Amino acid sequence: MKAQNLLALILIPMGLIIAAVPPNTTKPYKLTAGELLAEVNTRSQYVTPETVADMLVNKDPTLRLIDVRSSDEFEKFSLPGAVNIPVADLLSDKYTEILDQGVKMNVFYSNGTIAANEAWMITRQLGYSNNFVLEGGLNYWFDSIMNPQKPDNTSPDEEFAKYDFRKSAGMALGGGAPVQAAVDKTAPSSKPAVKPAQKKKKAAGGC
Amino acid sequence: MTKLKELKKTKYLNPYVGGVLLGLVLLAANFVAGRGLGASGAIKSTVVTGMIAVAPAATENSGFVGEFRDSHGGSPMKTWLVFQMLGVIVGGFISGALAGRLKLKVEHSPGITSRRRLIFALAGGVLFGFGSQLGRGCTSGSALSGMAVLSLGGFVTMMAIFGTAFAFAYVFRKNWI
Amino acid sequence: MGPLVVNEIITENTNLFLAFIIGIGFGFVLESSGFSSSRKLAGVFYGYDTVVLKVFFTAAITGMLGLLFFSLFGWIDLSLVYVNPTFLPSAILGGVIMGLGFIMGGYCPGTSFCGASIGKIDALVFIGGLFLGVLIFGLGYDIWEGIYMAGSMGDPKVSESLGLSDGVFGLLLIVVALAMFRVAEWAETKWPREEY
Repeated sequence: MKAQNLLALILIPMGLIIAAVPPNTTKPYKLTAGELLAEVNTRSQYVTPETVADMLVNKDPTLRLIDVRSSDEFEKFSLPGAVNIPVADLLSDKYTEILDQGVKMNVFYSNGTIAANEAWMITRQLGYSNNFVLEGGLNYWFDSIMNPQKPDNTSPDEEFAKYDFRKSAGMALGGGAPVQAAVDKTAPSSKPAVKPAQKKKKAAGGC
Repeated sequence: MTKLKELKKTKYLNPYVGGVLLGLVLLAANFVAGRGLGASGAIKSTVVTGMIAVAPAATENSGFVGEFRDSHGGSPMKTWLVFQMLGVIVGGFISGALAGRLKLKVEHSPGITSRRRLIFALAGGVLFGFGSQLGRGCTSGSALSGMAVLSLGGFVTMMAIFGTAFAFAYVFRKNWI
Repeated sequence: MGPLVVNEIITENTNLFLAFIIGIGFGFVLESSGFSSSRKLAGVFYGYDTVVLKVFFTAAITGMLGLLFFSLFGWIDLSLVYVNPTFLPSAILGGVIMGLGFIMGGYCPGTSFCGASIGKIDALVFIGGLFLGVLIFGLGYDIWEGIYMAGSMGDPKVSESLGLSDGVFGLLLIVVALAMFRVAEWAETKWPREEY
């Protein structure tokens, strides 16, 4: 048989197959179940409200708050500077650049922590780094930062320091408590380090 | 005539077989490195290296060198295409040696002199080198590799290259037939 | 799984080593298909030898089908594969200049290295020209930066631009290429040339 005809005989059926089947659009998971469980167990995805409040007050440019609640809830109330990515739209291509990056520290939050954790688990499985979850969610945010409870007089000094910080931070962020101290005097917990250049870049090409 | 055709067949690979093999090489490049084949990129690397070596101060603000640095980083000679092109030289040599085609010569149509052939080769090279930079890749890097990944630019460049060559074929016919 | 280097399955140095191996394959196939001969290459524009057309399109289609099937099987993540960006004005103008260089010089960059590797002096001179051309582009970058950067369209796929799926466009390309091969075979019998 002529090579030309043989080629046609092979290429045309292959072309028909590839034209008929839908393209594979699944995003492959990068972590095994065991690896993810190990990360969940260390609770390393959580950042405390104090850390976030401190970064907000100091206008830390690396912080990016991501509200994973519905857009209705986002309209009613959101943390300062937050962007709205409802969990349902998490895999939309337009958000990939926000979620898969190596510069900012993304903090997911929802009312509790369930929706935020859902978002974190999915992005983590896709291999994205630098995404975190606001510990306790908005509910705990209000309890701890916006309306801090004064500790008992018998409490250790650290509790009072924490209270002072919360109160001043809450005030700076528009909460009800009166200002008592300079905001930056105590940063109660260190923020997790952003891992740079974790993002898998497209191969560089060009002739 | 038939005898000559048979000779032709034994001398070179069947073009369709060659094409499939070349396609598999292209697929391998994409699978390994996530990028296609290329040639002019290696020349660009060498030119950039040369420019930096000859006039480091002048290249500091050169948009050309700057753009190259932005997209590659690191040593301009330690890039994928440079290593790939070194392989091309070795691969071509092996194939030529196996087929007994190693011979130092200027190949040209019997109708023209070697001198004329070389002048046109140089002029063609200059144009091709310039065009490959403007068009972001040559026949292999932009047209062939671009077509395999269905790049719009790849198809446009391919049509522009072959269309122009066809359009000007008559003008330069003396060189070839 | 693939692309291997992007997914960090192989290291950067292994990648460069494999580039060398892939290059050997590239050069070997080009040379054994006859791409080391400028007269063979130029033949496509006069109809006496259409090996360029056949090899070029067969290769593009094989590569494309391979990538689409690999993606289908989940062996390669096409979103991580480099798609050449499209700048329409420079793609056309660059292509026109390259076409002119092709018909004058009889080589393209890849094939000229192939020709030079088996001792073609005209190929070597062509390579010299390539370096000169790239250098001219580099030195006068400021002059043509405007057109070089004009009309950026990102990295669109031709199938998207036509509103087709990758697969349907692939099938169309196959049909068009096979039709061209028929024409090519006919042209070779119409304008035969003796062996050179």
